[in-house]
Amino acid sequence: MTPAQPTRSPESDRDLLKRYHIGGDTSAREELVQRHLPLVRSLARRYAGRGEALEDIEQVGAIGLLKAIDRYDLEREVSLTTYATPNVVGEIKRHFRDKGWAIRVPRGLQELNAKMSGTIERLTIKLERSPTIAEIATELETTPEQVLEAMEAGSAYSTVSLSTGPGGGGDDDDFDPMESIGAEDDEFERTEQRASLEPALESLPEREREILRMRFEEGLTQTQIADKIGISQMHVSRLIRKSLARMRDELA
Amino acid sequence: MRPDRIALETPIERGWEPVFRLVLGGVADRLDLGFEDLDDIQLAVERLLAEAGTQESVQLSFEILPEGLRTRIGPLREHAIAEALQGPEPRPGELTLRRILETVVDSFGVETVDDGNIMVILNKRVRRP
Repeated sequence: MTPAQPTRSPESDRDLLKRYHIGGDTSAREELVQRHLPLVRSLARRYAGRGEALEDIEQVGAIGLLKAIDRYDLEREVSLTTYATPNVVGEIKRHFRDKGWAIRVPRGLQELNAKMSGTIERLTIKLERSPTIAEIATELETTPEQVLEAMEAGSAYSTVSLSTGPGGGGDDDDFDPMESIGAEDDEFERTEQRASLEPALESLPEREREILRMRFEEGLTQTQIADKIGISQMHVSRLIRKSLARMRDELA
Repeated sequence: MRPDRIALETPIERGWEPVFRLVLGGVADRLDLGFEDLDDIQLAVERLLAEAGTQESVQLSFEILPEGLRTRIGPLREHAIAEALQGPEPRPGELTLRRILETVVDSFGVETVDDGNIMVILNKRVRRP
């Protein structure tokens, strides 16, 4: 009878992390990914049913896992599972935020919204002006109401007031950021009176600053801006809203 | 003849914005307003509501005129809005509420209503296809 071979106990996550971080062994990284994919799948399932395929959410979550593995600090006494969970969730949430589908939107409207951008571009070229809602609806073989709903579905942006508190301005949120500002100098007061977003302009990426400059300083239309920087007019519209809301957030 | 008019009172809260945007979209459809013009007027109203965020609700009305759309927003209690819209011209390159409105609507005005509150009027011309 052949004596039983001693079974090799699986390496701990920490051993694999050491092999990867100290020895540069990418197979250890791959092993860690495989080992923690069930965690990613479990977290991804929580975000299913929001208009995005589960497989796609899992892929995004896997990126969060990879980042967690890469950023893991061996000196920390925390398990990889504990460390990776917020990274995976954060990556998924960021994905939804960037895609603008954080709110549940019926698939039909999402598809219509996805078609609209190209349709508007085509019609703008054909008509040499911005198309009307009825023209967009005719082109997409749907109703103006559906077009408006699809437009709305794609408008995931925020307009936060300068005076909205950190809690979002709910009933229990009496904090007014303006009250937290100390002595006002004349220039600040003057700027405030103009409802100026200027101080927050620097917080925007270069491209967004340039879009705002073209729109509000040069007076270019969204279509003209879209042509100049090679994105769709709808995307320009979303970026302008996002930038203005972000500047408001920054000031708050 | 009295112009067709649609009026609503809306809470000033982000979650309610889709309501006025949809109403405005329906009005724009009736007027054959171009998609970009609709987007402009929506942005103008959004920015005013964002600045008026300290009050609970606001009245909006949309009047369909032969030359286009007139939107009234108010009464607004935030004095900074009146000062921003009636004060000096923004400096070159300065991004203010006034600059935004000047860009996205054809004209705007401010009326003082009760207790020093204001009503902002936005005019958008229809460029007939």
